[in-house]
Amino acid sequence: MFTLTENEISNLEKLKNKEILITGGSGFVGTWLTQLLLYLNDTYNFNITLYLIARQLTCNLEALIDSRKDIIFIKNDIRNIREFPKDIAYIIHAASSPDNRIYMSNPIESMNIISDGTKNTMENALLLEKLEKIVHLSSGQIYGSLDSHNITENDFGKLNCNSISAIYPEAKRYAETLVNAYRSLHKLPVVQVRPFSFIGPFMSLNKPWAVNSFIRDVLKTKNIRILGNGKPVRSYMYPTDMAVWILTMLLYGKSGASYNLGSDVGISLEEVAIKIKNIVGNDVSIEILNMNDSCSEFVPNIDYVRHELDLDITVNIDDTLKKSIQWFEKNLL
Amino acid sequence: MTNKINLYDVTLRDGSHAIAHQLSIEQVEHYTKAIDQTGVYAVEVGHGNGLGASSVLVGKSQLSDEILLKTAKENLQHTKLGIHVIPGFATIKKDIENAILWGVDVFRVASHCTEADITERHIGYVRNKGKEAYGLLMMSHMTSPEILLDEAIKMQTYGAEGIIILDSAGSYLPDDVKERITLLSQNLNVPVGFHAHNNLGLGISNSLVAIESGAQIIDGATKGFGAGAGNAQLEVLAAVLQKINYQTNIDLYKLLDAADMVEKDLIKEPITISSLSIVSAMAGVFSGFSKHVKRVAKELNVDPRDIFMELGRHKVVAGQEDTIIDIALKLKKRI
Repeated sequence: MFTLTENEISNLEKLKNKEILITGGSGFVGTWLTQLLLYLNDTYNFNITLYLIARQLTCNLEALIDSRKDIIFIKNDIRNIREFPKDIAYIIHAASSPDNRIYMSNPIESMNIISDGTKNTMENALLLEKLEKIVHLSSGQIYGSLDSHNITENDFGKLNCNSISAIYPEAKRYAETLVNAYRSLHKLPVVQVRPFSFIGPFMSLNKPWAVNSFIRDVLKTKNIRILGNGKPVRSYMYPTDMAVWILTMLLYGKSGASYNLGSDVGISLEEVAIKIKNIVGNDVSIEILNMNDSCSEFVPNIDYVRHELDLDITVNIDDTLKKSIQWFEKNLL
Repeated sequence: MTNKINLYDVTLRDGSHAIAHQLSIEQVEHYTKAIDQTGVYAVEVGHGNGLGASSVLVGKSQLSDEILLKTAKENLQHTKLGIHVIPGFATIKKDIENAILWGVDVFRVASHCTEADITERHIGYVRNKGKEAYGLLMMSHMTSPEILLDEAIKMQTYGAEGIIILDSAGSYLPDDVKERITLLSQNLNVPVGFHAHNNLGLGISNSLVAIESGAQIIDGATKGFGAGAGNAQLEVLAAVLQKINYQTNIDLYKLLDAADMVEKDLIKEPITISSLSIVSAMAGVFSGFSKHVKRVAKELNVDPRDIFMELGRHKVVAGQEDTIIDIALKLKKRI
């Protein structure tokens, strides 16, 4: 699953013999971080002890946790945790789902998980004597309406706080500000990470995002229906890159800094649909219904990450889609 | 974006209300065969309250959903087969799974205008099965345009490929339509639609205002055959849109033929704007209540207009038909 360079292994060696806590440990990000950390233990004897906090365990992780001693699963809501294990050195706070169906249907609960969950994580972190760094997983959505293929960490667009669509991004903006308040007042070493779009194994094809729907439809030999003109541009990062980037940001990110997490290679929805159709090779059509004129773009600029952390994209869009489709074919159909 | 308008035919679903859900196999066969030649985007078939709704509470269908839908599907080659789905009446396992097997192409999942949350699983399931899913907000006059937008955004998020607002009580004035459709079409990424009722004689003109405000899906029924005072009359709408040069793909002569067939085969009483329909619009009550109100009013010797006004004060919605008797009894006591 992972093929790390000697340089990457060397960079990650600071994690050796450490205890790491991931909140939202059973989500997509948590699952991939777990895979990477276990890979480091198994292949390079990192001797990491991993604590996962989540309200429930997914089947992807269940078998792993049953069979290993280097993972401890804490089944609880992050808002209810009263004390973290005392030797934790690193925290990755990833609790909260970006699935917009969830926060639309449960807006108050969703905001509360983000606000109170983040506050409780920071409060517990204050008690850790061995704490070295926290990554707060925010969201690319905090940039609001920018319509850009080149969003830097300092760009902020409009957010209409009175719209139901603002539930998640406004809560995430609040959480970032809250985390920075802890950094300012209590000197907690915190790095903000802003994820964009991903596709890959351990993701559900039922998620309400275009690329997931395209893959699902093509694998079921259904036509892809694009309601708009197919011109909106997004970018997709493969999760092996995502996991390596997050750990690198955790170890080398500057406290107080914010980093984009995603690919800077934009691709239109129509181009993605064509690539998926060609990879699968099914006889399906791509129907562009032209029901709206949207040409929106949502692609990060990652120059700062490249320059500061020496990170780059290692899996291109074609391989990202191929690897994802191979996994979905084996595991979901 | 084009000026293409999808016309969606609700004659064999909304019209079911007008004949107490007593559609026959022959009526469904004849109508679907005729409508298939017209260029209408989809034809909706079933009980007035949609899939799985046949019950003592809202009226029993003469035919099962299975027979209605299979019969319709056998006669449709060009026009898609649609179904109205209200979660609660229709379940995923018992109804939607089967409807997919019976050949339904378009699922329009409806909720009261403030309760879009209940449509999440149904819309998600339909989309996962690769079928078309739309979100319908019923009784849309009962909330503000801003709340309507929130609910529409939820449905869009759940995967709806279009959001249709229903003027279930036929109470909208043109400005009401303009305000809501403009707000929705400017803020949603999916097409917006409008479903008129003709209680105040505004079915066609309100539909036109909806189109001018950004709607791309318009519901109608041939001869206006729908609940209460009926819907926007589909063949009139097609003619008007043709005159204004909107693209509808409609073969007008064939649609007129289908409409004439409806008049001959389906309509027992002419669809008119009755006094009671006007009152139900003023009260803001669902047009489908008319038959129940008339029956209860006659049985208890109460003025049906008073029942409607009282129902309006209670803000009743479809599915609360049992309230009619309670209210009529209270009114009778007052007399």
